Amino acid sequence: MKRSFKEALTSGKFLVTAEVASPKGIDADSLGPIVGNLKDTVDAIGVGDNPRGVMSMSPWAACHLISESGGEPIMHLTCRDRNRMALQSDLLAAAFLGIRNVLCVTGDHVRFGDHIDAMPVYDLDSVQLIETVRSLTGGRDMTGHELAGAPEFCVGAVANPESDPVGPQLFKFKKKLASGIDFVLTHPVFNPDNLAPFVSEAKEKGVKVIAGVSLLVAEEIPGYKDGSHPGLFVPDEVLADIEGAGIEKGIEIAARLIGTIKDKGLCDGVHISAPGHEEKIIDIIKSSGI
Amino acid sequence: MIVGTRKPFAEIRDLVSGHRKILVVGCGTCVAVCLAGGEKEVAILASQLRIALRLVGQDVQVDEAMAERQCDTEFLVDLGSKKDLGDYDIVVSMACGAGVQLFSDVYDQNLVVPALNTVFIGVAEGPGVWTEKCRSCGDCVLGETGGICPVTMCAKGLLNGPCGGARHGKCEVNPELDCAWVKIYDRMSARDNLKSIEKTLPPRKNSRQTHPSVSIHEAYKRRFDKDEKIV
Repeated sequence: MKRSFKEALTSGKFLVTAEVASPKGIDADSLGPIVGNLKDTVDAIGVGDNPRGVMSMSPWAACHLISESGGEPIMHLTCRDRNRMALQSDLLAAAFLGIRNVLCVTGDHVRFGDHIDAMPVYDLDSVQLIETVRSLTGGRDMTGHELAGAPEFCVGAVANPESDPVGPQLFKFKKKLASGIDFVLTHPVFNPDNLAPFVSEAKEKGVKVIAGVSLLVAEEIPGYKDGSHPGLFVPDEVLADIEGAGIEKGIEIAARLIGTIKDKGLCDGVHISAPGHEEKIIDIIKSSGI
Repeated sequence: MIVGTRKPFAEIRDLVSGHRKILVVGCGTCVAVCLAGGEKEVAILASQLRIALRLVGQDVQVDEAMAERQCDTEFLVDLGSKKDLGDYDIVVSMACGAGVQLFSDVYDQNLVVPALNTVFIGVAEGPGVWTEKCRSCGDCVLGETGGICPVTMCAKGLLNGPCGGARHGKCEVNPELDCAWVKIYDRMSARDNLKSIEKTLPPRKNSRQTHPSVSIHEAYKRRFDKDEKIV
């Protein structure tokens, strides 16, 4: 059995995680080879939960597939699509299926996705969701009722070091730390020095920070600029670098960034995403030399 | 106040088309202030209906009236004492959704249709501009968020801080709008009182927002509250 992500977090090694998309449909054939390529290279594979508000298979099902394939999944769980009862139900279902890691996220607004008239739920926010997970792992639901068998979860949260202004983001981050998390996956960073205040706060609590690194592609430049990729703030000089370039340029930029983060010891690892091009994640890892 | 906007004319015309005697009734409070359903708007809509329906050969009589508040029975009764409402085939109410419904309840023989869409509870920012401020959630947190409502002003209604999507202090959903949590943070920071918003707020008490809701003033409980009613 693959080492658990919780064990990896305490191993002291530079952590590498990847993010894959859940299939839109029941055909998961494309996911299999990507997971096969990554499972022995990365410490865990995250599965987005209707990322950017685009409807796809529930992440617990895709996480189950990853587990069955010998990988270690991290289930992303957004507050956008479920009320507090459904969130807890899915957490119990995930634990029952052997999923050990959960990333508690707010969730991009539905207006960016393919169901723009859907009701955005946000019955809980991400801080309250973390507290809810902690309640479940303590053997009770969030209203205090005893569970017949408590789940075990390694709990993650998200932060965006590129936020402008960063003060409110750090303010919420401290609430997440106080709620009891094990790790942090950040939104994609481009100025890795911005990680410093988050790493410093997390270190005090013994929480590992894993920096988001995203593959950028030239055809998405208009979206990067107009804000239709929420939480992704790409600096103009990076956009200029990929303008008109092939995907290899994006791989090179991501790999270089990973090298910088690792060499300078800016945080505890990297979380690599490549929306629509997940098969390239392995190339980014190889190219970075980590 | 409650803010409303007039429905597209074609929608109102289709609602009343085929009826001969039409009464357009405005409301003298919130929707008059937000220039959607006051006396002037009643006159404009009535004129438009007369012209549009007569142009397609419908022989109509469109009359105009005002109620000081359509959300209050006594003003509707007062209107009925001045006008024979039974004389009309259809009433076009220019009140908010609450007023339209009370009109229908008080005069349940009348067919009452709305001319407005009720959009929010808000404030006047300046001439002709109103912004939403309150979702009437029944569980007010303004005392803990510096007087800025995150339930209303944050597109996601987040109680404990911003999401990761705020860009240059603006909302990820609408870049024209400030991020509510950046505003809350800035206000409390300027007051040197960030400490007061450090506490994690618990999940909202949605049970306080059951629909349809009833609110009975303490002094009237013995008269109206079924649990305290004196038989």
